[in-house]
Parts: sequence; structure tokens; C-alpha cells
Amino acid sequence: MNKKLEHQFVTELENNQNIVHKVCTLYTNDRDSHKDLFQEITIQLWKAYPKFRGESKFSTWMYRVALNTAITLYRKSKKRIQTQDYESVIFKITADEYDPLEEQQLQLMYKAVKQLGDIEKALVFLYLEDKDYREIAETLGITEVNARVKMNRIKNKLRTILNP
Amino acid sequence: MIDELELLKKDWQKKEEHLPKLSYEEIHNMLWKKSSSIVKWILIISILEFTLPHLLYLVPSFQDNMEIYDKLGLHNYIIGLTIFTYGVAFYFILQFYRRYKEISVLDSSKNLMRKIIRTRTTVKHYIIYSLSMIMVIVVMMIIGVYFDDDIFSSFSQLQDKAESISAEKIKISIMIAMAVMGVVLTALMAGIYFLLYGLLLRKLKRNYNELKQLEV
Repeated sequence: MNKKLEHQFVTELENNQNIVHKVCTLYTNDRDSHKDLFQEITIQLWKAYPKFRGESKFSTWMYRVALNTAITLYRKSKKRIQTQDYESVIFKITADEYDPLEEQQLQLMYKAVKQLGDIEKALVFLYLEDKDYREIAETLGITEVNARVKMNRIKNKLRTILNP
Repeated sequence: MIDELELLKKDWQKKEEHLPKLSYEEIHNMLWKKSSSIVKWILIISILEFTLPHLLYLVPSFQDNMEIYDKLGLHNYIIGLTIFTYGVAFYFILQFYRRYKEISVLDSSKNLMRKIIRTRTTVKHYIIYSLSMIMVIVVMMIIGVYFDDDIFSSFSQLQDKAESISAEKIKISIMIAMAVMGVVLTALMAGIYFLLYGLLLRKLKRNYNELKQLEV
């Protein structure tokens, strides 16, 4: 691989690394696993990069590789104890507009999402990232109708988790 | 009732500032790390499964076994069977390689999972075939013993018992022992194999079924 391609790739990934971090936050429970998964996604992205022809945006292309790695390719190396400080990454309070009631509800929501299965998380993730159902369906390999049906089921499931 | 997910969506977009930030160097270093993906493991395990049985022929005690085949008059059958076995193994390896090459992280999740399972199934078929081959050889040996007119010279260890037990009894004992050993050994190997196979693909199969169920 030539240096130019390498530089181009690392720069693109550096600029779009948030996408990968968000996937890692959803699919792992501690800092080490987060790093592990980030690394695996980076390797998979790099391996697939020569096939990236710029037909779509780099970020669009990243969603697919990152999710496929998290759902299918990644094997958890060890079960680790969840550390408190890691939790705070996703549940961090946005200080300026602090509303205790809303904040509490959000925290519960995040915890409920973390309890979902791999596929359900993928749908929620793409939904939160503001992807339309066509893109969600294409990424997962299901029909648009089924993506909607599944999403409704997930919403109901979340509701049950939140109001048992 | 307000849509909780909409609320979460708004908050989710704000979360970005709290995410970790890796530097150019940190990302650059990751490019050369070894992948630990399930596809890589499947490749390693499958190569082992294809090669290990063949390495057994290099073990001295296995070469002794070949003498037994000679004595039982199975030599030509075994040679024929070996040529057949290599042909079939070659076919499976080719099939495996073609399916392995089709696996792409750029596919949709469902296709990716389907292709991984298909690749793995090729190896599963090869294992089922190999185990049945062991059974075929065991059956051939039992038939060989049955038609052997001079059982004591084929199994030299039994020579000293020649006087006390009749040849007929010895033959039946050997045939039963071979059958039991053959079945137990095959069942044990199959058990271990399918346990490992199941563990490796458990998560993947669960996710795949979840996606497939949606289509019904």
C-alpha cells in the first residue's frame, strides 16, 4: 500500500472517528473492549479501503463496515468488569441545560438501549444517526417494510423495559 | 405519549463532544495490528481441519497400520480409497477457498453472515464426509477380518493365544472390538467438533436468524 493512500485513509478516519466511537460505546461495556473494537473496525476499514471508490461519502461507507464488524466479525476477547467511569462517557450530563427529570429519563433510555440485542442496537444506532429506513434496510440487508416493523417492535420493547 | 427515541435522538447528537478522540498517530499505529476477526479464526481452524488428518500418516504407529491392511488383503482398496480421498479433499478445499473469497465486510449484514455460514458449512460437510470415511474403513477392516483365513499371522500379537482359543472366536472378538472402537471414536470426534463449531458461530447464527425471521 502506498504512503499517499495510507495518509488519505488515516486523515479521513481521524475526521470521522466519532462514528466508530459511537458504535464501540453501544457494543462494549468497558474502556479496553472499546479500544479493542475500535482497533478491529480500523483494521477492517483499512483492508476494505482500496475497494472504496468514493461513490458514496466516506462516512456512509464507514457505517456499514463498523456495524458489520461489531455485529458479525468481532469476537469479545474476555469478559471484563464494567467500570463506572466508562459508563459516564455515554451518560454524561450536558451541564448547560440540566433538567433533572429529563436527564433521569435519558439515562434510563441509554441503559435500556444497551440491553437490546445486536441487531436491535444496529437499528437504533442508525435511527439515532438520522438515517432513513431505506439506508437502514440496505445496511442490514432487509426490506424497508421490515426495517419499519422491526423498529416499531424495538420501540415497544424499550417502552416495556422502561415501564415494567 | 412522546416518542422517547426522539428525545434520545436529540441528546445523542449532543453527545459527540464527550466521545474519546484519537490522534493521527494512534490511528496510524492501529493499521498494522493483527485482526482478530471471526473470519480469520474460521480460516485458521479450517486449514487445521483440512491438514491435521493428513499429518496423521506421518506418525509411525499409523504406518504400522498400513501393514495390517496389507495382511488383510486390503492394500489395493486402500490405495484406491486414498486417491479418492485426496480428490474429494481437493474439491472441498477449492470450494472453501471460493466461498471464503466471497466474504466481504462491504456486504449488507445479512449477506455477510450468510456467506460466513456458507463457508463454514463447506468445512462441516468435509468433516461429516471424513468421519463417514473412517466408518467405511472400519467396515472394510471388519470384512477383511471376516474373510481372513489366517487371522493369527495378520495379528502377530495374538500368536501365543492360538492354542487356547479357536480362530472363529478370535475373529468375532476382533470384529466386535473394531466396530465398537470405530463407532465410539467417530462419535467422540463428531461430538467435540460440533461443540467447537457451535460455540464459534453461536452469536453469528443468533443474529442471522433474527434478520431472517423478519422476512417471514
